[in-house]
Amino acid sequence: MGKRSMLGRSVPGNSILHRLDARIKFLAAILIMVATLSIRDVRVMGLFILWTLVLMALSGIRVSIILRSVRPIVVIILFAVILHILTVDGHILFAIGPVRVSQEGLLAGLMTALRLSLMIINSSLFLTLTTTPLAVADALESLLSPLRFLRFPVHEFAMMMSIALRFVPTLMDEAVKIMKAQSSRGANYDTGGILKRAGGLVSILVPLFVSSFRRADDLAVAMDARCYQGEKGRTRLYTARLKFPDLAFLALVIFLLSFSLVSSRILPALTGVLGAAGG
Amino acid sequence: MWDTVIEFQAVSFAYGAMQGQRPVQAVRQVSFSIEKGAHVVLLGRNGSGKSTLARLMNGLLVPDEGQVLVDGKSTADDDSVYEIRRKCGMVFQNPDNQIIGTTVKDDIAFGPSNLGVPAGEILERIDRVLAMTGLEGLKDRAPHELSGGQKQKLAIASVLAMEPDCLILDEATAMLDPVARRDILELVQKLKRERGLTVVQITHHMEEALLADYVYVIGMGSIAFQGTPAQVFDQMDRVKAEGLSVPAHLEIARLVAAKTGRPYERDEIISFDGAVASVRRALKDLPQGTVRSCARAPAGQEVEMVLDVRDLSYSYDSPAGAPIAALHSVSLSVRRGEILGIAGHTGSGKSTLIQHFNGLIPAEQGKIILLGSDLSNRRVIREIRRQVGLLFQYPEDQLFEETVALDIAFAPKQQKKSPQQVEEAVLRAAKRLGIESILDRSPFELSGGQRRRVAIAGVLAAEPEIVILDEPAAGLDPAGRDDLFRDLLTLQSEGATLIVVSHDMELMTRFADRILVLKEGAVAGIGTPSEIVASEGFLEDAHLDMPAPKRFLDALREEYRDLDTSCFTITDAVDALLAAGGR
Repeated sequence: MGKRSMLGRSVPGNSILHRLDARIKFLAAILIMVATLSIRDVRVMGLFILWTLVLMALSGIRVSIILRSVRPIVVIILFAVILHILTVDGHILFAIGPVRVSQEGLLAGLMTALRLSLMIINSSLFLTLTTTPLAVADALESLLSPLRFLRFPVHEFAMMMSIALRFVPTLMDEAVKIMKAQSSRGANYDTGGILKRAGGLVSILVPLFVSSFRRADDLAVAMDARCYQGEKGRTRLYTARLKFPDLAFLALVIFLLSFSLVSSRILPALTGVLGAAGG
Repeated sequence: MWDTVIEFQAVSFAYGAMQGQRPVQAVRQVSFSIEKGAHVVLLGRNGSGKSTLARLMNGLLVPDEGQVLVDGKSTADDDSVYEIRRKCGMVFQNPDNQIIGTTVKDDIAFGPSNLGVPAGEILERIDRVLAMTGLEGLKDRAPHELSGGQKQKLAIASVLAMEPDCLILDEATAMLDPVARRDILELVQKLKRERGLTVVQITHHMEEALLADYVYVIGMGSIAFQGTPAQVFDQMDRVKAEGLSVPAHLEIARLVAAKTGRPYERDEIISFDGAVASVRRALKDLPQGTVRSCARAPAGQEVEMVLDVRDLSYSYDSPAGAPIAALHSVSLSVRRGEILGIAGHTGSGKSTLIQHFNGLIPAEQGKIILLGSDLSNRRVIREIRRQVGLLFQYPEDQLFEETVALDIAFAPKQQKKSPQQVEEAVLRAAKRLGIESILDRSPFELSGGQRRRVAIAGVLAAEPEIVILDEPAAGLDPAGRDDLFRDLLTLQSEGATLIVVSHDMELMTRFADRILVLKEGAVAGIGTPSEIVASEGFLEDAHLDMPAPKRFLDALREEYRDLDTSCFTITDAVDALLAAGGR
């Protein structure tokens, strides 16, 4: 009970985003990640914010749930912002003791915060919120399939990922239950030195491992009973042929990426070259 | 021969034979065959080899000697084994450990995907089996968002998606509450009727055996005896010798027949109504006796309260955001030396309630006074946990030490007792549960029932004044269940106060002094077993079962006005009937 982690939990729905091919979403997540991280221009940032807002609206998922995905990296974002404010010089806006806050520093910090947030929101919209873990695993399997020639066990890898995701909530509940059971026997996990606390962990980890092995055993038998025989002859439910919306979406993402790259890398370089030539 | 689905020919199987360990013989020289469309039940106590038999049926295990044929093909034949597994779908005991997909839909797709069924057809099958199992609307749910009963229905749906001829249920209802169990049984009956499925059910629930066409009683890895349910349960002594029990109505009818010297019809008393009719006839010629009461003096008549709960409320955050009320203004008090039963349907708040009793969950609203201390004072919690032993469901899952003795010693060691005191505490606790002989063994090599005892001893070693047990008998066979509750009664006689949580009303009415019924987080009623069962529709309203002996007596209440219907053991019920006598 209590709060549950959002890890590996998709929100069911039937939006355009939900219906896109998982492989396209996987690629889109990577491309948008590169794109957001290379944004330098404020106007481009505006464009990407608009893009993300549109995606959020299209997904039909409650905003509070989407924003929850940023929570795990709030500390990192804050750290980056503070670092920028402290290190970037420029017009001093105000000073608190020895700390001088410049306009440029504030802007740089804000841009970093936005870059990281947009990156996380985009990739969780694509990969965790609108796509079931099994579809992600299927997509990964399909995208990694060239690695087969290097004898990389692509299918097994994808299957392992999906089963791990399936059991995250189950094992978390179990860990809580075991911890409560040992607390009831007088175990104390809150006080004492590091060594004592680490010793206390044994009383949680051993039962947790034992039960995980038993679950693994049971699961293997259950998979056997349902005729699992590796990837041989197996139907892939989610990797159908790509449809027009999939390709159109990918084209849009590539356009956005190139826009961001051109504006942040190529244009400054060009102006630099031209400026040098002119001067 | 064409209508035989599964055939065992002199099958033997031992575990560990391959790994060079000392083999453990699980199945010896078993021969039988199952007809197409039949409903067969394999009965046997824990460790009798019945699950091994199930796994031999679809080639999950392959016989060491003899052979298993499914539709004439051997399970040892690699070419036909996947076809055999498709035909004989299997549902296992633990709902959590057989769901492979991350959503309901994905899990159903797993089997047909493995068979190479085209994607479009798989999507059609998903909708079809969801409708068949009544899971419509749950298609996109994650497994951990389902209840135990829903998970088992999903397991059945996932098997159905492979279009099997035969459904093997390996203790598929063992971890469910009575309501969910009945649900699953009804679903299986429906599927059998509508789709002509052959059903093989492995169980130690006697009521499930009554639904079968044919019953095999398994003991020590072989078929002890067999027959129709009527034939099998007619051999009451042999059934009990196998650690099993006989359905209550059948046993009452048999005992009344024996005491009155009237014959009974074997095939009549197999049904509840038949058993009632048989008893009615037997009692007719009997002289009217003196009225006999089943009432027993409840323990803990001293007025000292060890636990006093006032207006306790608790709510938790749901994934949807709005807080869900788990407990609503619960008040109760527990008397020293009594066994208080807490009964309620799944999700009624039982487990949340007892976690308040040793401070695992702090009271949000309301007051808890335990042995004179107010639990809102968090500094008393450590001392309280020493005085209150709490055992969760399946407590054997919390064992972690190398030996049984070390594991039992965990709690006394936390109390910083001297090594000698610890040793004494361990020995005392082990003796109480009859496990002194296995103190040096690893807890992980013991049977389920033994591990349960070790876990209970681990809590008793702290010598608590109050012991709280959540479903202590879950998963145990009838003999194991009775043994465990006898131990609990001994514990009570030595002065302990017990709080037992369960939805098994038969056990509760037999052993508890008072019962608290929870319904949707609120107290629906509290009283002696007789008081709790007295008002009609009360238990049904709380989604609980009427205990079988009481239900039997109620059926005769019209004719025998003086009959005391509040009897909770078979012998009490029989005595009450004989005393009420003829009309």
